[in-house]
Amino acid sequence: MSAGSHAPAGPLLEVEGLVKHFRMGGGLFARHSGRIQAVNGVSFTLAAGETLALVGESGCGKTTAARTIARLYRPDAGSVRFQGRDLAGLRGRALKSARRALQMVFQDPFGSLNPRLPVGAIINEPLKIHGIGTRAERGERLARVMTQVGLNPRDAERYPHQFSGGQRQRIAIARALVLEPELIIADEPLSALDVSIQSQILNLLKDIQEDRGLAFLFITHDLAVVDHFADRVAVMYLGHIVETARREALFETPRHPYTRALIDAVPVPGGGKRRLGTATAGDVPSPAAPPPGCPFHPRCPRASETCRRTMPALEPRAEDPGHRVACHHPLEAPTGAGGAP
Amino acid sequence: MTRYIAGRLVESVVVLIVMSFVIYALIGLMPGDPIDLMIQSDPRLTPADAARLRAVYGLDKPLAERYLAWAAAALAGDFGNSRLYARPVLDVMPGFLLNTVNLMGLSFVISVAIAIPLGIYAALRQQRAADYVVNLACFAGISVPIFWLALMLIILFAVLIPILPASGVSSVGGGGFLDLARHLVLPVATLTIFSIGSYTRFMRAATIEVMRQDYIRTAFAKGASRGRVVMRHAFRNALVSVVTIVALSFGTLFSGALITETMFAYPGMGKLIFDSVMGNDFNMALVALLFATLVTLLANLGADIAYAWLDPRISYGGGGGRPR
Amino acid sequence: MSGLAQSPARAARAPRTVWGLLLRRMLGHRLAIGSLAFLLILSVLAILTPVIEGALGLDANSVALTMRFEGPSAAHLLGTDELGRDLLARLLYGGQVSLFVGIAAALASAVIGTLIGLPAGYYGGKFDAVLMRLTDGVIALPLLPLLIVLAALDLNKLGLPEAVVNDPNMSLYRIIVIIALVGWTTVARLVRGATLSLREREYVLAATAAGAGGLRIMAVHILPNVVSPIIVATTLSVGNVILLESVLSFLGLGIQPPIASWGNMLTGAQELIWNAPELAFYPGLLIFLTVIAFNFLGDGLQDALDPRAIEK
Repeated sequence: MSAGSHAPAGPLLEVEGLVKHFRMGGGLFARHSGRIQAVNGVSFTLAAGETLALVGESGCGKTTAARTIARLYRPDAGSVRFQGRDLAGLRGRALKSARRALQMVFQDPFGSLNPRLPVGAIINEPLKIHGIGTRAERGERLARVMTQVGLNPRDAERYPHQFSGGQRQRIAIARALVLEPELIIADEPLSALDVSIQSQILNLLKDIQEDRGLAFLFITHDLAVVDHFADRVAVMYLGHIVETARREALFETPRHPYTRALIDAVPVPGGGKRRLGTATAGDVPSPAAPPPGCPFHPRCPRASETCRRTMPALEPRAEDPGHRVACHHPLEAPTGAGGAP
Repeated sequence: MTRYIAGRLVESVVVLIVMSFVIYALIGLMPGDPIDLMIQSDPRLTPADAARLRAVYGLDKPLAERYLAWAAAALAGDFGNSRLYARPVLDVMPGFLLNTVNLMGLSFVISVAIAIPLGIYAALRQQRAADYVVNLACFAGISVPIFWLALMLIILFAVLIPILPASGVSSVGGGGFLDLARHLVLPVATLTIFSIGSYTRFMRAATIEVMRQDYIRTAFAKGASRGRVVMRHAFRNALVSVVTIVALSFGTLFSGALITETMFAYPGMGKLIFDSVMGNDFNMALVALLFATLVTLLANLGADIAYAWLDPRISYGGGGGRPR
Repeated sequence: MSGLAQSPARAARAPRTVWGLLLRRMLGHRLAIGSLAFLLILSVLAILTPVIEGALGLDANSVALTMRFEGPSAAHLLGTDELGRDLLARLLYGGQVSLFVGIAAALASAVIGTLIGLPAGYYGGKFDAVLMRLTDGVIALPLLPLLIVLAALDLNKLGLPEAVVNDPNMSLYRIIVIIALVGWTTVARLVRGATLSLREREYVLAATAAGAGGLRIMAVHILPNVVSPIIVATTLSVGNVILLESVLSFLGLGIQPPIASWGNMLTGAQELIWNAPELAFYPGLLIFLTVIAFNFLGDGLQDALDPRAIEK
């Protein structure tokens, strides 16, 4: 179950140039028939056992990216290499077997569980789908995984509405664990929970990761969570990745103006926010009509003519090849908070 | 919008053509064929004669060929002769059609004239006694078997209190407007009572729905009187929904007319369909059924167009599907 | 359900499950409950008809031409019909048939409609477009004329074996089949609409992510959540089906004698109304009461299951 048993040639997950657009409106009376360019060329890698946090504001396309990677949508372009195989091109049985190692946890603990099924059946369903184990064996696995997430196996006959939000999320996590996957994609699993519960669930995820050596693709907009859990971070804006780095590097030396703005906006205990070194003006543009050039330029105080015209590529930094930025004028300050650009 | 209409027109034509084939095939599956009928009336025909006649009339050819032959003739205007009336089908139909138009038209007008105000009234008195009574009456209206209703009316007004004729469209040896009117009373009453229940319910529901809208509340807040609000806003918008639903219940109205005509021996399209199907008048049955299909399709098409035209807020997602 | 604001005392008594909520709302709908009671009684009577026959010493099929058109008496509680048969017994048998046909045909329509609506809504695309065109096409047809033609078909010509054609219950099966053939469209549209919205739910996505195929998702995740509107629609359709069956039987095209159906008991009643109007009264009255009962019941169910009302 550890990463070593597979020992793939490359990283566990390698996303390259992922594109997913949605057609909007259409029909006879639609005034805007166009496309929502939710994911516009996203690339990153994820190693076995690693946690990569995908952060960004709402509407930036991170949920779409997550779902496309999980093959809930078909990518319009690009590749998703998981355990060496490109999921984008798989279908039918091949896709089904690839899914065993890749599971997903969703944001809404109310909506992600079928209200008509007892939770035992919900958790066990992946086993049934893949025809694993006899009835007895499945019962055992069910009990084990329920205990691991902090639920009482005797509650297996109850229905989702009889559990609290936090417990439901545990059920969802149990469901994701039952197939013993290599990678779990967690789409904002904490956002719908009460703050006091959030840390419990986060700690649960950390324990599970240590115990099983799982890799996590963790979608979130909450930088505090990122600080607690992620090994590496990828920052997303309007369908593009603008920066990826190890966690410490990102927080200490963010290179993209947007990243800097995100970090500066995190509330500090003791009141007030960190002093905003960079102001961002304006609203987030609509993903249906993204501006040409760098997607951030309308809000960026450092924007120049080049920014308006050409799309910056995600380039590794000289001093730290693991740290990549997509910016024509990246921040060069040696330290983060409060320093002038 | 025109694209939509054109699309729906094409659809309707396709359905009509498909149905013409289906009906043709179904009629062919009715007991007996023209040759059998000939044999029945002339026992001297031997099986050899029968076989020869079949070949002559092309009755031994496969279904598709026979259908295409019929279709070709039909497109040229020749729908064959009616066996029961010994005349070309197209000569026989118009008379029956007119009678049905009278019956359905009259009932429709009366039903709607009563249902609309009644529905609005009930909607405005929601949850109160008047509303419950109206609601109950509507339920009764939609639950009553129409042929039983006809029978009860006949018993009441032609048997127990013999003031109206129980059948036909005119008395023997007589005619004239009053006579026609007397013959129409019971059939029209039957069909009207049959439809009024559902129309009233629709109107009531549509009015309630409209009254709930924010712009109505705004009008009240602006100080408009109840009557004004109802007449200017609620009525018009509820009417939109009702127009479409009523057009869609054309099929039901026609079925109701069919039964009514059969009960009262009223010579309309419905009775024509029934008699020709039961009487093995294949040519007539085919054309009458096809006509009924055509008219129902047109009514549905009209409903869709009216709905689209009156409510441009609808968007048809994913390729021109129906806005419901 | 977290939106319900209740005082602690009430909260203690408030039903926790959907069924509890349902029952409580239905109890407030007295007509629906009354109708349910009526229908249950009718069903029991219908099922127990042979027992009742024996108990009262009646036989629905015994013709006694010397006792035609008799009024109510000790031997015949409702009198006799034009062939001297006991009216009450025939009404009870008619009830059996009408209820059976009504429910069976309504269920058959619901099944066909679900089988069409589920894949249409789930798979979408061209498949859905084709199915919906088909559905629209069937809806646009004149119902009764078509049913008349279908009911008048010669089964031999269809190629059915002789034994099947001459089965005494054939008219029963046939009418159930033809009504189901034209009656599935309401449920189909309903199910398709519900499926379209349900397939975006996260638990459906979760099942897909776990590797579930379309069949499993439709059967395990979507169908159970569509069941309540299907039940409402089916209940409401039973009344309509009974009306259709009785019309066809009345016209001589539905249930064939000697099987009694309320509809065919009225066949030829037009000639009889001059002698014995009550013969025309009872069967029709029973049809009326049964249909209105199903309509009230369906209406009550609809109100009780209305998600908007539950949220209040």
